[in-house]
Amino acid sequence: MLISYKWLNELVSTGLDAEELSEKLTLIGLEIDGIHAKDDDTIFDIEVTSNRGDCLSHLGVARELSAALAKPINIPEIPSDSPSETSRVVIEDPKDCYRFTARIIEGVKVGPSPDWLVRKLDAVGERSINNIADITNYVMHELGQPMHAFDLDKLKEQRIVVRKARKGESIKTLDEEDRKLDVSVLAICDAESPVAVAGVMGGLDSGVTEETKNVLLEVACFDRDSIRSTSSRLNLSTEASYRFERGVDIEGVVRASNRAASLIAELTNGTLTEFSDVYPKRHKPVSISAPDLAAEFERLSGIALSIEKIDGSLEGLGIHKDSDGAYRIPSWRHDMSIPEDLVEEAARMHGYEKIGEELPRASSAGEYHSLEPRKRRLREVLASNGFDEAMSYSFVDAQKAGAFAKVKAMGAENEREVRIKDPIIEGADLMRPSLVSGLIDAVQTNFNHKALDLSLFEIGKAFATDDAGAPPLERELLGFVITGREAHANTALRGREMDFFDLKGAIETAGDSLGTPALVFRAAEIEHLQKGQSAEILLNGQPVGSAGKLSAEIANTYKFKQPVYIAELDLTAILETDETAATYSPLDVFPSITRDISLVVSDEVSLDQILRTVSGGGFKNLDSVSYVDTYSGKGMESGERSITIRIEYRSGARTLTDDEVDMAHEDVRNTLKSKLNAALR
Amino acid sequence: MSEEKDQLDSIKESFESEFDRFSGLLKDGFKGMKLTAAEKLSKELSDFRVKHTGKKSPISGAMKLIGKVAPEKRADFGKSVQGIRSKIEGRIDEAESSLNRYIESSKTESERIDVTLPGRRHQKGHLHPMTILRQKIEDIFVSMGYAIEDDREIETDYYNFDALNIPKDHPARDSKDTFYTTDGLALRSQTSTVQIRAMERRGAPIRIIAPGRVYRRDTPDQTHTPMFHQIEGLCVDKDITMAHLKGTVSEWLRRMYGRETKTRFRPSYFPFTEPSAEFDFSCFKCSGTGEFEGDKCGTCRGSGWIELGGCGMVHPNVLEGCGIDHKVYSGFAFGFGLERMCALMYNLDDIRLMFENDVRFLRQFY
Repeated sequence: MLISYKWLNELVSTGLDAEELSEKLTLIGLEIDGIHAKDDDTIFDIEVTSNRGDCLSHLGVARELSAALAKPINIPEIPSDSPSETSRVVIEDPKDCYRFTARIIEGVKVGPSPDWLVRKLDAVGERSINNIADITNYVMHELGQPMHAFDLDKLKEQRIVVRKARKGESIKTLDEEDRKLDVSVLAICDAESPVAVAGVMGGLDSGVTEETKNVLLEVACFDRDSIRSTSSRLNLSTEASYRFERGVDIEGVVRASNRAASLIAELTNGTLTEFSDVYPKRHKPVSISAPDLAAEFERLSGIALSIEKIDGSLEGLGIHKDSDGAYRIPSWRHDMSIPEDLVEEAARMHGYEKIGEELPRASSAGEYHSLEPRKRRLREVLASNGFDEAMSYSFVDAQKAGAFAKVKAMGAENEREVRIKDPIIEGADLMRPSLVSGLIDAVQTNFNHKALDLSLFEIGKAFATDDAGAPPLERELLGFVITGREAHANTALRGREMDFFDLKGAIETAGDSLGTPALVFRAAEIEHLQKGQSAEILLNGQPVGSAGKLSAEIANTYKFKQPVYIAELDLTAILETDETAATYSPLDVFPSITRDISLVVSDEVSLDQILRTVSGGGFKNLDSVSYVDTYSGKGMESGERSITIRIEYRSGARTLTDDEVDMAHEDVRNTLKSKLNAALR
Repeated sequence: MSEEKDQLDSIKESFESEFDRFSGLLKDGFKGMKLTAAEKLSKELSDFRVKHTGKKSPISGAMKLIGKVAPEKRADFGKSVQGIRSKIEGRIDEAESSLNRYIESSKTESERIDVTLPGRRHQKGHLHPMTILRQKIEDIFVSMGYAIEDDREIETDYYNFDALNIPKDHPARDSKDTFYTTDGLALRSQTSTVQIRAMERRGAPIRIIAPGRVYRRDTPDQTHTPMFHQIEGLCVDKDITMAHLKGTVSEWLRRMYGRETKTRFRPSYFPFTEPSAEFDFSCFKCSGTGEFEGDKCGTCRGSGWIELGGCGMVHPNVLEGCGIDHKVYSGFAFGFGLERMCALMYNLDDIRLMFENDVRFLRQFY
């Protein structure tokens, strides 16, 4: 809202220059959004909080300054004609229209406004229209009361009915838009049809023109919610609706009407005649009982202030203490009901800057969220292993997201996705059930910028709901995506092309950093992953995620030209698992003997099978078995490969002899041959 | 006697003449000699030493004569022989150590490397700037005795509005401002929801910080995204006043931006606090002067202050709703947006970058 420095000083002599005034306004809660010079004036753009409709005028701001600076307010002299209820105005809907006054001004001469008026309106960003419209605007900026002037002779039967619009009614408003009204819209009507949208905008046909001779000046007070809902329904926000939504001073209606009517009469040579006021339910002032406000003030502000001082500050704001000790709130304030509100007002006037700075005395030790230390370790380990941390919107495109399998926790049978009503980003209509689609989008973004070597991880919540009406499930997931070649620091030379095992390694590293029991990878078919290069990940036998190469079908829809490997884990489930604790076993006393075996097996046989065959075979003195390497290609038939494993034999009681080991080893070899149909090399 | 003397002279002479080939090189410090040549020379020198000081060397022969010389001359002769031997050994030692030094330094020279070539390592990854900032803030508050809390992002109207004393007709409830799911639940529009759940769980006294995602129906632009992060703080105890609010927020900002950081509290309005305030802190770029390197400071737009968040004393209705007696306890709460703080910290011109995962962006932070 624009406020003129000069105009303001007419209402209260602040004795401050523009900069000092700006500072003062800021400190009493009227935030200055902008400040600019205009001619010989300075204009403040003040941001008024939504609870302070009473500050949306020069008078409103002046009232605050008058209280804060203890300077008197100079309200211009306004005639005090008293209205009476007449049959010209009928309020059919008193729930939405609390008060309606109509002043008749006869024999007006519509024309341009005098210079002083044009300049004042210009200062606050209003264009001059004609002397009558200008006065209504002027008084709104002066006193905060919106109003509207009708051409009396264009009103059917020259009377006003305030009612809800009827089905099928419409109006052409002053902005020359035809607007369909519905039954929720409060309308100002003549004997037949709507002539204004109440509190928002007048009608074009009933408006004041050059030819207008007689004027009906409407000054009214409407229900705030009714105006808000109309304004939102018509998608039409005006200076008037803005003020009505925040509340005007119902007891100031007559004064505002008198102010405007007398100025109109003066500028247009009109004659003031009938003054109607329909005010079905008189305003009842709010009263706050606060028997020991000084104590309450000290309790919240930490400042001891005498009750006289506190009452004095409140008095300045028009809050008077009744003889029974209760504080009576002025009709223009809509934001006060409890003693704490009084404390705020007194503190505001005293100055928040006078409140000291203290730390509360210590009570308990601080603590991180119970899962945070492990997550921090995870993030640090992944970052030091070359992964960049991604962070994506929680919204995803339902159509795209449908292509991705969910981790088990998010995809139980009876669960479905959480949809957003009226999404704001096109295509973002789903609360993400998985991190995968976000990570794929990230890959696409980077490919577009020719960044081809990527290692990203993301930690974030995913959502699902069941039909039982319980609040949706929110679980934290851990996602990975890698593509392209290994990147080394400080060299432009790209490293080895990354594959499934880089992804698997990263997941294992993540598992280590979280201190979980070993994560087990098991070949599995996953919707969005390429067959034969996809695995489900198990923790303690329970599925907690998936990993693999993005399927060609999806890769094609994104036009990816290089393989992309993607994984997702249920981090919540992993973090719910206890960390493994280290245990000590006595150091070996006797030396071990190691033997390697290279065996040629069909591709159907997995390393896991081989290792389990050896470790679970109950072989004598077998201490451990480990993987050495794999060979396929030259010298191998297709469909088979050579795998080398290393076996360590050891006895806890003595040093083994070569002969004993050879015998045990022969057993192992025979078992592998027979059980896995392996050829030994 | 002269015969013996002649013999010694001839030993000396023949050593000198044979040593001559080393002494020249020695004098030049083996200048320009290749490492392989020097190593060959070193071998020759050790052969030379055997020849001139070994068991079969002339001087060893002379040593054996000492016993045969007449007793009265024996001492003199012995002395002479010893003298010549030490001299020969001395010369060879000197040549050898000089040559060895030369070989060492040549070897060192040949192993010289360019230490400015890069270290061998994997490219490091980067934490998201929001993570970095959140962790930093969490660290500060944990050290000030706060517990970090987290809770639901999809909430009922009760937690998102009612419990926060947001009136039924408040515009924030409008679906123009708040996202709803098709099941009619709200995507929380502020992390203050966590205050409520935490107070219900823990009761009073309580000190918590709640970082998390919030959602508002803002069309994305340079300074808005429909999803962003907030951090909410809450302290409820006996005798908590606005002075504690100011002290806590100021102390935190001083730990973030330096001891000289100033704060400013301005009256404001939030339904869940009374009294309410907004807090600003003195611009870290221009130290609150509004000017930076002779120009208007871009970070605070010349005001010297950076607006950060909202705060206030917890509204009695909020406390009572959580079963905390507002006559016994009082408390303060504050909240602010992380993206804005992050943008200020790193001088970002477009906060949408935070959620695009462009590695050119992500790789700038650590």
